[in-house]
Amino acid sequence: MLGWTSLKWLLWISLYLIPVVFLPWAISRTWVHQHGRELRLKPHQLFQRGELGLPSLVLASSVVWNLLQSQFMPHTVALGAVIMGLSGIMAVTVWVETYCRQSSGVDLRPERAWRDSRSLALLVFSMAAVLEILLDRFAKVVAQ
Amino acid sequence: MSAPAPALAKTPRRLAVVRLADASEAVAVLSFMFGLLLVFFPVVFPRMIVTSWQHGQLMPIMMGFTLLLDTCLYLRVAYLQSAKPRPMAAACLGWMPLLVVGGLSLLLRSAVSHTLSAGLPNMQARVGEEILAHTYLGLVSAVFLPFLVIRLLQQFKAANS
Repeated sequence: MLGWTSLKWLLWISLYLIPVVFLPWAISRTWVHQHGRELRLKPHQLFQRGELGLPSLVLASSVVWNLLQSQFMPHTVALGAVIMGLSGIMAVTVWVETYCRQSSGVDLRPERAWRDSRSLALLVFSMAAVLEILLDRFAKVVAQ
Repeated sequence: MSAPAPALAKTPRRLAVVRLADASEAVAVLSFMFGLLLVFFPVVFPRMIVTSWQHGQLMPIMMGFTLLLDTCLYLRVAYLQSAKPRPMAAACLGWMPLLVVGGLSLLLRSAVSHTLSAGLPNMQARVGEEILAHTYLGLVSAVFLPFLVIRLLQQFKAANS
C-alpha cells in the first residue's frame, strides 16, 4: 500500500527549507560579495532572533488546511489541528518574544532564541512530515 | 565563638526552569522515528499497533512510555542546569501523560464507533488508519503538552512574584 512513495512528502516539505534557510543565506552571501565586506554569516547568526518561527507557523497552517480537507473523522482532524497549531504558535512566539526583548532592552539572549526556534521548527517539520504521510495513507484507503 | 566561613555556608540550589525547546527536540526525534517506521514498514508497523489496541495493550504501553520519557527529559533538564526539580512540575509530569493518553483513548473509541456506524466502504482499513493517527498524535501530545503546561505555569508564577 505504501513504501518509498511516502518519501515524496518528505521532499515536498523539504521544499520549505529552500526559501526559508537557503535563500536568505544565499542573499546574504550576495550582499557581502556586492559590498566587498569580510563577513561569513552562519544560519544561527542569520536567524538569531527566532525568525524560524515564522515559516514554522506557515508550514503548520498548510498541514492544518490539508487535515481539514481530509476524510478523517472530525475527532482526529480536531486533535491533529490543535496539536499542529499549538506547535506552530509556540514556534512563532519565540520570534515575537525575542523581538519584544530586543525592543525593550530586556535580557536579550540570541543563543537561546536560536536554540528554541530551531528546536520548535524541527518539531513542526517532523510533525508535518508524519501527518502528511498519514494523510497520504488515508487518501489511498478511501480511494480503494 | 567565630562566625562560620562563607565558603562553608550552605547555598540553596535554584529550581529547574523548563523551556519548550527541551521537549521539542525529543518529540521531533520521536516523530521522525514514527515516520521512518511508517515508510520502511508500511504494513507490519500499523498492523502491530492495531493488534495491540484490539488486545487493550496499546494505551498502557503508551502511558508507561510517555511517563518515562517525560520524567527522563525533566531530570535531564534539572541535571544540566544543576538545579532542583520543582515539586509542581514533577506532579504535573506525573499525572498529565496519563490524563492525556486516557482522554485520547476515549476520543479514539468515539472516532472508531463513528467510523463503524457510518457504514463506509473499506471500513477495517479506515479504522486502522484512525487508530494509527490517534496513536501518533497521542504520543506527541503526551510528551509535548505537559512541558507546555509547565512552561506556562512557570511564566504565570514569574509574573505574579
